[in-house]
Amino acid sequence: MTTTTTTTSKPRSRGRAVPYLLLAPAIIIITLLVIIPMIVIARDSFAISDPLGGNLGGFTLDNYAKLIDPVYAKTLGYSLGMAAINAAVCLIVGYIVAFYISTRAASRQPVLLVLVIIPFLTDFLVRTFAWINLLGSGGPIISGLKLIGIEASSLVPSQLAVTLSLLYAFLPVAVFPIYASMRSIDPSLKEAASDLGAGWWQTHARVFVPLSAPGIASALMLTFVPTLGVFVIPVLLGGGKDPLVGNLIVTLFTEFRNEPLGAALSMVVLLLMVLSAAIAGIVIRVVNSRKAA
Amino acid sequence: MDRVVAWIARLVFVFLYIPIIALVVYSFNSADVSYRFEGFSLRWYAELFADQLLLDTLRTSAIVGVCAALLATIVGFLSAFALVRFRVKGRAFFLGAIVIPLIVPEIVLGVSLLTVFSTANVPTGLVTLILGHVVITLPLATLVMMGAMSALDPSLSEAATDLGATPWVTFRRILFPLLRPAVLAAFLLSFTTSFSNIVISTFTAGVGTTTLPLRIYSSLRTGLTPELNALGTLLVVFTLAIILVVGVGQMRRILAGGTPPPTN
Repeated sequence: MTTTTTTTSKPRSRGRAVPYLLLAPAIIIITLLVIIPMIVIARDSFAISDPLGGNLGGFTLDNYAKLIDPVYAKTLGYSLGMAAINAAVCLIVGYIVAFYISTRAASRQPVLLVLVIIPFLTDFLVRTFAWINLLGSGGPIISGLKLIGIEASSLVPSQLAVTLSLLYAFLPVAVFPIYASMRSIDPSLKEAASDLGAGWWQTHARVFVPLSAPGIASALMLTFVPTLGVFVIPVLLGGGKDPLVGNLIVTLFTEFRNEPLGAALSMVVLLLMVLSAAIAGIVIRVVNSRKAA
Repeated sequence: MDRVVAWIARLVFVFLYIPIIALVVYSFNSADVSYRFEGFSLRWYAELFADQLLLDTLRTSAIVGVCAALLATIVGFLSAFALVRFRVKGRAFFLGAIVIPLIVPEIVLGVSLLTVFSTANVPTGLVTLILGHVVITLPLATLVMMGAMSALDPSLSEAATDLGATPWVTFRRILFPLLRPAVLAAFLLSFTTSFSNIVISTFTAGVGTTTLPLRIYSSLRTGLTPELNALGTLLVVFTLAIILVVGVGQMRRILAGGTPPPTN
């Protein structure tokens, strides 16, 4: 997808409006269903909330101030921590898998990638509840623990179950961009590095990591903030005890009907995403301009 | 160290498949509780097909999936065609606008759609579900088809034009047949994305409409049943079928970007 280039088709004398007409339906959809809705919640995040549920309009910063309230700050802090852990684990494991795939024979690479794709395209809920079979009471892992003398009744709900299934849900998203940027690295660089006496860590730290930085940055962008918005996993595997920001947003909108506060929280998530996309964009630009130089 | 890394990677592949294998195995379990395996049985599949409520939600998901995927594929095709085959001023702007839903966290898209629908007094239901799903599938469909279009040899359409074909004939007889696999891929990927969506559906479905994932989620809150394992197994098979139809090579280009490296 990154290789799409503007084709230099001959400029036509007539029908200059044609491409814009072709783009019109998409632009109308994006404007009506994405841009305007986001403007509306941005505005709602400054609205006064009705204690009975609802939106009283007006202008206030209360919704943002409330997010510092210990009740909400706790969830926000916990979510940021979980997101950071998940992004870091996805990055390390994703890097290893991407490196492994990119160093296999060209004919085997597609097979391995498809092996990563199959769980990724499997229904998200199915992927999540599949873990309950494994970690639940009487499941293979509990039975295994009993065999080695550890008494445990069930690993669902638990923090471990949440962490594992978050990794399971996001790992493929980290593998693809890292693999894409690793594939363009000249394999002879690895030989050159080892010929010059660089060890494994040095070869990676000084050659592979810098050259695959665009993929690494994209992987972090696609795992960190999106983890904040997850709401299914904390309920199904965490027992709902430690909600993520996603759970809070769902509750605020569907149960408490506190739209302004929910909107403010959504804006925080959105801003974090914009920020991480901007950082990833800068990294990609810097690395590419260095490559060109 | 390379060997250690290779072993870790192999273990990760095992990690990716253990839950799926467990799912399939437990779906054939004859025991009433999902965890303990007692013997082979197809009873959960039988119960699955007798569950009318579940079949209703399956139908809803199929309708939403087909409508959303059709819309996304048609609109995405037009956009991709404009962006690849024409010189468009502000190309980066248009492309950027179309891929916004891939960058904005889905939950933010969901709550903003809910807010707008309730502000504009649009009743939530089948139509709002479809609209919500179009938003998330459109960028996917557009990018898949853009990839295929920019990989087309430009000399093909030039040759057709030189031989006297009108632009429409060139499109219908040369370009579209070549793009058909990509159009199918875009449709199928949009369909699966819509079919398995839970986040957007949570906010756009409304009270009376339930999709299959929403139904699975609400029944999971009271616990995992063997019936759900059977359903999950069928969904895994369905995913495999889609990947086979789309084709391994195309799948790779879609997800990892770019053209494959030269094989040597």
